[in-house]
Amino acid sequence: MENLVYIALFAPLAGSLFAALFGMSKKNIITGIVTSTLIFISFVASAILFSHVMTVGPVHVRMMDWIMAGDMLIPFGFLVDQISVTMMTVVTLVSTVVHIYSNGYMDHDKSFNRFFSYLSAFVFSMMVLVMSDNFLGLFIGWEGVGVCSWLLIGFWYHKEDVSREVNPSISPSWAANEAFIMNRIADLGMLVGIFILYWNVGSLQYDVVFAALPNLSDGILVAAAVALFIGAMGKSAQFPLHTWLTDAMEGPTPVSALIHAATMVTAGVFLVIRANPLYSMEAVHWVSYFIAALGTFVAVFAASMALVNRDLKRIIAFSTLSQLGYMFAAAGLGAYWIALFHLAAHAFFKALLFLGAGNVMHAMDGELDIFKMGGLKKVMRWTYLYMGVASLALSGIGIAGIGFAGYFSKDAIIEVAFNEHTYVLWTILVLTAGLTAFYSFRQVFLTFHGNERYHALGIHPHEMYGYVLVALSPLAILAVVAGFYKDWFEHFVTKLLPEYHMSEHTHHIAWILGLLVIAFAVGGIVLAYIKYNRGLKRNEKLERSFVYRLLSNQYYIPIFYEKTISKPYAALSRFSWGTVDQKVVDATVDGIGKFIKTTGDTTRKIQTGNLSDYLRWMAGGALLLVAIAFVAFKLSQGAH
Amino acid sequence: MDGILTILLFFPLLAGLLGFVVNKDSIRAYGIAVASIEFLLSLWLWMSFDVTHAGFQFVENIPLVSDFGISYYVGVDGISLFIIIMATLMTLIGIIALNIKKDIKNLIITLLFLEVAMVGVFISLDAILFYLFWEFSLVPMLYIIGAWGGERRLYAAIKFFLYTFTGSLIMLVGMLYVAYVYHSVSGSWSFAITDWYALILPLDVEKWLFWAFFLGFAIKVPMFPFHTWLPYAHGQAPTVGSVILAAVLLKMGTYGFIRFSLPMFPDASVLYITPVAILAIIMIIYTAMVAYAQEDMKQTIAYSSVSHMGVIIIGTFAMNAEGITGSVFLMLSHGIVSGALFLLVGSIYDRRHTKLMSEFGGLASVMPKYAVIYGIMLMASVGLPLTIGFVGEYLSLAGFYKISPIMTVLAGTSIILGAVYMLNLYKRSFFGPVTHEANATLNDLDGKELAALVPLVLIVVWLGVYPKPVLVPIDNSVKALTSFMHEKAQTRVAKATIVVSKKNKEMK
Repeated sequence: MENLVYIALFAPLAGSLFAALFGMSKKNIITGIVTSTLIFISFVASAILFSHVMTVGPVHVRMMDWIMAGDMLIPFGFLVDQISVTMMTVVTLVSTVVHIYSNGYMDHDKSFNRFFSYLSAFVFSMMVLVMSDNFLGLFIGWEGVGVCSWLLIGFWYHKEDVSREVNPSISPSWAANEAFIMNRIADLGMLVGIFILYWNVGSLQYDVVFAALPNLSDGILVAAAVALFIGAMGKSAQFPLHTWLTDAMEGPTPVSALIHAATMVTAGVFLVIRANPLYSMEAVHWVSYFIAALGTFVAVFAASMALVNRDLKRIIAFSTLSQLGYMFAAAGLGAYWIALFHLAAHAFFKALLFLGAGNVMHAMDGELDIFKMGGLKKVMRWTYLYMGVASLALSGIGIAGIGFAGYFSKDAIIEVAFNEHTYVLWTILVLTAGLTAFYSFRQVFLTFHGNERYHALGIHPHEMYGYVLVALSPLAILAVVAGFYKDWFEHFVTKLLPEYHMSEHTHHIAWILGLLVIAFAVGGIVLAYIKYNRGLKRNEKLERSFVYRLLSNQYYIPIFYEKTISKPYAALSRFSWGTVDQKVVDATVDGIGKFIKTTGDTTRKIQTGNLSDYLRWMAGGALLLVAIAFVAFKLSQGAH
Repeated sequence: MDGILTILLFFPLLAGLLGFVVNKDSIRAYGIAVASIEFLLSLWLWMSFDVTHAGFQFVENIPLVSDFGISYYVGVDGISLFIIIMATLMTLIGIIALNIKKDIKNLIITLLFLEVAMVGVFISLDAILFYLFWEFSLVPMLYIIGAWGGERRLYAAIKFFLYTFTGSLIMLVGMLYVAYVYHSVSGSWSFAITDWYALILPLDVEKWLFWAFFLGFAIKVPMFPFHTWLPYAHGQAPTVGSVILAAVLLKMGTYGFIRFSLPMFPDASVLYITPVAILAIIMIIYTAMVAYAQEDMKQTIAYSSVSHMGVIIIGTFAMNAEGITGSVFLMLSHGIVSGALFLLVGSIYDRRHTKLMSEFGGLASVMPKYAVIYGIMLMASVGLPLTIGFVGEYLSLAGFYKISPIMTVLAGTSIILGAVYMLNLYKRSFFGPVTHEANATLNDLDGKELAALVPLVLIVVWLGVYPKPVLVPIDNSVKALTSFMHEKAQTRVAKATIVVSKKNKEMK
């Protein structure tokens, strides 16, 4: 089994390095095929490991030492248990589809090889992140996905910066830097969490740390929980570190599907699930509650911005943000396995949604404005089907135990919120389910139904390549059927994760709660149908209203950050350099130098060369010395 | 094996002198050959080094002025070993990458003399010998900046010389005072550092001496507010000068703290952690901001050096093996990475004769190899795990967390602010469309430049993934240092603050 662990882990790295060899040369289809195959091999290895973990148990390998200093010893160790093997399987499955998809999508890109190198490097980082057996190993992957996402968001680095009115993300390279720096802010929190654990436990290995938790004081536990969660907030783009996620849509669409939906952004949720012994401690219950509350807030906050957005990819990005909120809500309330289940289910249908959006974008010559689309279902039947299915899954459609993936996972989260008596959270989550259905189908109807507005642009849309559509089918199937494996999955992961049981009361009225959620979801779809099925009728008055503009400008938060953080920081930096460094610090140094020089110049005049002058100075000096000696003598006498 | 340090020290000196009779056309090859041999010698030193032994090795002790206890006393331990290897490596790389035609013969001979001074500083175990090499290192650098520098080279060179010289003089006074105290206690003169270690000083004296040495080291590092000579020196120095200055000469200051201040004044070092750390934090945050404000690529990297040196100081004053080992490792990684970054800036300067970021943009499209290597060094500079930059930065901060969580968070902003100025530099220079026509036809890195840079890339990755061969010897010596300090410390605060590693505790 050890070999399989290494195959699962290093196959993507091998692919990345292989593609990197051709990184500067012209498109070579071999790189696409080799990297895709290697990711698929990694998937197969993960799947075998999955069944091994299920039947036999976890696998733990220790490859070699990494950092050792003082009493700190950090190895490269990899742990394949229920949590990590689930993540590995999901990550490699989605990655395989994305790799195959990219062969078609990046067809005409001159940096084809470079793209595959980055993409596989990303998968490798993600695997390190989920497989490591200690916090610092996780941090390797954590930073690794950060860098790969920097490379991939800024993939089309040659585009120039434009104003926010033209492109809210300014440029790919701008968005890439924003993502990296914002993640770094959170990473500092993560590092501090690691320091806290190290100095209080003496190790960073998961098993050692978790075993030592009961011996730690409440203050330490809270500090560690908060610090680690700050790290999670960055990667999972939770408020107020959320703006990078939508801007990250500047990257090629397969990147959005892989990184900004299925994998990297779930790293924060993964961290909380992985550290569940910490977050389950009685002492940190309010931190956990805060996580749930923040998650709930982000769920509705992101959904509200999706309501009015016109950009196909940004709408999906907002929905990702919103669903991450759901996952945190579940994890914060202690339903870790449900959070993990939603994470997996979401990965499938969200990747499908993004890749479908990629098909549309490909067909529309890069156009993303859904107001300029419409009626595409005639030319893109399969894409329409896929996106429809994915949207139904996202909206959580289903009844009486039969439904799409999201129905099982999201419903369970909402039920948990009810079960924990956190009714405010529950209300918001139910409401958000309605909003989710509305914006998802607003997008579907505006894109695929109604009048064909794209004719005005002179575009001739066409369906994606056949093999790409075939490659997408596993995701579509999973978006439909994943939910049926809920009980099986629960049984599997609760060997490691704490079980979660609904109270008798909740259990009794579960069907009413479920019905209510469905009612909201269906209501959202119906509303979207009424408003948008026939085509686009713009309501100028509504679009000029304050609320609409507030939402479409993302609550003016990006502008707020620019005005209160980036601009002042730049100004302060210039002040530090121009005024403090040059006019104060350096001027003082030069001043001292000048003072010595001037003193020298002035006193040089004493050196007249005239003997009687020198005698005079000498006599004066001698007198002075005598006077000083006398005073000193008197003073010392006085002291006695 | 005896005498290896003497060979290492005198070989470049003799070779440098011989260089005067070498033909001008073959001087480059000669320089590369000499520097390569010297580098191989330093590797040989590593191979013969007993990694399980924490104390000084290859010790040679020949009395020079026995009446005053001054001797030719040299030796290396895990702390100095790798700095020496880095010094010889960076000299070699610097000579390989040389792109100067003017007076190349003098330049190469000067570099070889500089190498003597650098090796000398790090192997000296006699304070006078140390001081001689310390000051001697100024002369070749003065000459390199003054003769091959930019427009304001004389101002920069003199500023560099006078400023660091002033600090050194105060340090010299401190050294003489230590020798005086040693004489009054033991009745004989000695400048041997190991003798001084055994000296238990009265607390008041320790405090004064701490600051005397501090000034000498702080100006060299350079610590805020003594740093303003550095941007001028870098701004005017030719590429090779900047490479050596950033990679090795600055490390003399931080090395001084570890070799002198910590073991000689453990109580004062603990007592003054807070003021020193505050200065270091100002260095980290303030110079990171100044770096962000720069228009000139080289100045950004110069200021970033100061910022990273702040993290090294933080690690040094962590008073535990995690932090101090981290700071020594960070010295090495900063040497490699900043050296490489200065080489990279030099490459583009050779092509465009400007270093202003506004003159570039879109370089990634024109010079992909250059962009890749620059990108790797950038990531190492911002401390990405699995590059050399992470290990030292992480350990330094982790170590200091034991002293003060809040100050660690402040110092830790280095990972954010570093990303801000470096990514900004990269975006402005490499991304976006090619706006200047002059950039559209630039040639990518040539064979010579790749020969200098690729080895550094390999080291960055190798020591990022597998730092153990370097960390273990450093750590052994550092653990011995901390337990020595703990034993020597007189105050209760110092005893409580200095952490002795478990392994060394067991040994007792």
